[in-house]
Amino acid sequence: MAVTASIPMTQPTALPAWAREMWRYRVLYLFVLPFAALVVVFGLWPIAQSLVLSFASSATAFRLNPDYVGLENFETIFSDRRFIASLNVTLFYTAISVVLNVAFALGYAVLLSSRYLKRGNTFFRLAVFLPVITPDVAGFIVWKWMYNQNFGAVNAALGSLGLPLFGGIADSDTVLSALVVAELWKHVGFYTIIFLTNMQLLDPALDEAAELEGATAWQRFWYVTLPQLRPAITINVVFALIQFLKTFTVVVVMTKGGPNFSTNFISYYAFQKFEQASYGEAMAMASTLFGLVLVLTYALYWALERTDWR
Amino acid sequence: MTARIPYVLAYACAISLSILFVYPYYWMFVGSFRTTEEILTAPLRLLPEVFNLSAYGEITSIGGASLLRLTVNSFWITTASTAIAVVVTALGAYALTRRPKMLGFNLIRYGFLLTIMYPFMLLVIPVFIVMFHLGLLGSYSGIILFLSLGPIQFFLFEQFFRSFPKELIDAALMDGASELGVLFRVVLPVARPVVGTVTLVTFLLNWSQWFPVLVISRTPDTYTLPAALLSMNSELGTNFQGIMALATLTTVPVVIVFVLTQRRVMQGIAAGAIKG
Repeated sequence: MAVTASIPMTQPTALPAWAREMWRYRVLYLFVLPFAALVVVFGLWPIAQSLVLSFASSATAFRLNPDYVGLENFETIFSDRRFIASLNVTLFYTAISVVLNVAFALGYAVLLSSRYLKRGNTFFRLAVFLPVITPDVAGFIVWKWMYNQNFGAVNAALGSLGLPLFGGIADSDTVLSALVVAELWKHVGFYTIIFLTNMQLLDPALDEAAELEGATAWQRFWYVTLPQLRPAITINVVFALIQFLKTFTVVVVMTKGGPNFSTNFISYYAFQKFEQASYGEAMAMASTLFGLVLVLTYALYWALERTDWR
Repeated sequence: MTARIPYVLAYACAISLSILFVYPYYWMFVGSFRTTEEILTAPLRLLPEVFNLSAYGEITSIGGASLLRLTVNSFWITTASTAIAVVVTALGAYALTRRPKMLGFNLIRYGFLLTIMYPFMLLVIPVFIVMFHLGLLGSYSGIILFLSLGPIQFFLFEQFFRSFPKELIDAALMDGASELGVLFRVVLPVARPVVGTVTLVTFLLNWSQWFPVLVISRTPDTYTLPAALLSMNSELGTNFQGIMALATLTTVPVVIVFVLTQRRVMQGIAAGAIKG
């Protein structure tokens, strides 16, 4: 082979095939080295650190050899009623947000891809996607003030329309819906664009055929478009699930877990434990959330792929 | 006449929703020019009474760091982490797709996948401990290096290199090119569009980062604009106008970049995400 001629003469010959391949493509190891280093140092090491520390005593967390306490941290957090409440509200919030975001995105994508909206489409897409790339801190701070009872835009608008005022983030009965709306504003553009990207791949012939057969617009959506969008729905549901299970920034900016712990989501609670130097408990919560993300993502993916959900 | 009803309905829906999506930006921008008293009397006023620029003067120093410093930090940290991310991820993804079965390559790939599955916010906490051990706490390099690893970047590159015709590489090797020659003369010239997209997307995503910046920093001297905005948010005594001014300054650069490059950014983020 001509290729081997270009390999330097130092090539060892008596090695097994895999070792010869390693030698021949050794420069690829050089290429991958910085990437692998980043993965190890800022990925695997911290993950291992957090798993290890969830079994260690907080006071010794910064030592290279911390004291191990077995399952004590997990026992502490699972006997903490505030953590159980945090788990529940996280799951509740996630369920509502996933359904609303994916449903809104699907509806809006159908609207934006309809034949009635030819002009201005670029602007509509830009408007819905702009919040996705906007720094989340800035977006949520603006929402926080818009919900303000005294001079927020939300209540001013409701008041001028003669509608009842909204408690916003100050009232523990309305705070979850306030966060759902602000986060929908922030994230729904992402899911909408994923649906729109997938809709470009649909086969227009199917839709035309159904129309010729006399199918109504609703029937065409339900029996023609929707089944073709199934992979996109699965992707969006899984993305949304991961996104909302780890809801964090909106709480830090707008509510600090309140009022009265009604928005004390797991990632925020874990962060608070970290700030109070309860590293062991913080890491036990982090590991629990990671486990939850993995199990729920896999279960949902499996369910959406296999069952006929319609 | 009835044929026009669906058009009217569709446009009415799309226009009103678009206004709702854009309105917070408008309220923020106008709010940065209005005093608290003015907003209290007319929260929804569309134009400021007078263009009161005092808020932009008040935020020249935030929590001990100057606005200039924060802005320079933002641009420096975002640009440096974007550059490192593009080079390191491109080389890594190239090697991993060129010979996926090489010893150890699968391990690196799975390690990366595990990392991006781990909830980002909770990864940052142990990163604090890692930075402590590495002596990088409070340093720019710590922040920049941590921000150089991201899922969308990797998946966009991987997608591109996977679809790259193998025959071209083999032909170049036959002609006696080295692996380095193949990368620089055969692959990279064609990879310009994907490099551009990844650069744009990484810049936009890293500009927004605040949590790693806050956790790795020791003083506000290494804060970026979003990190400073957050610390201003938690301060007692609320300076509404100042917060809106800083939020505007934090948002304007990404809005400009996005509006100029929107199609590419949206396609890039969608493509990189679908792959993952």
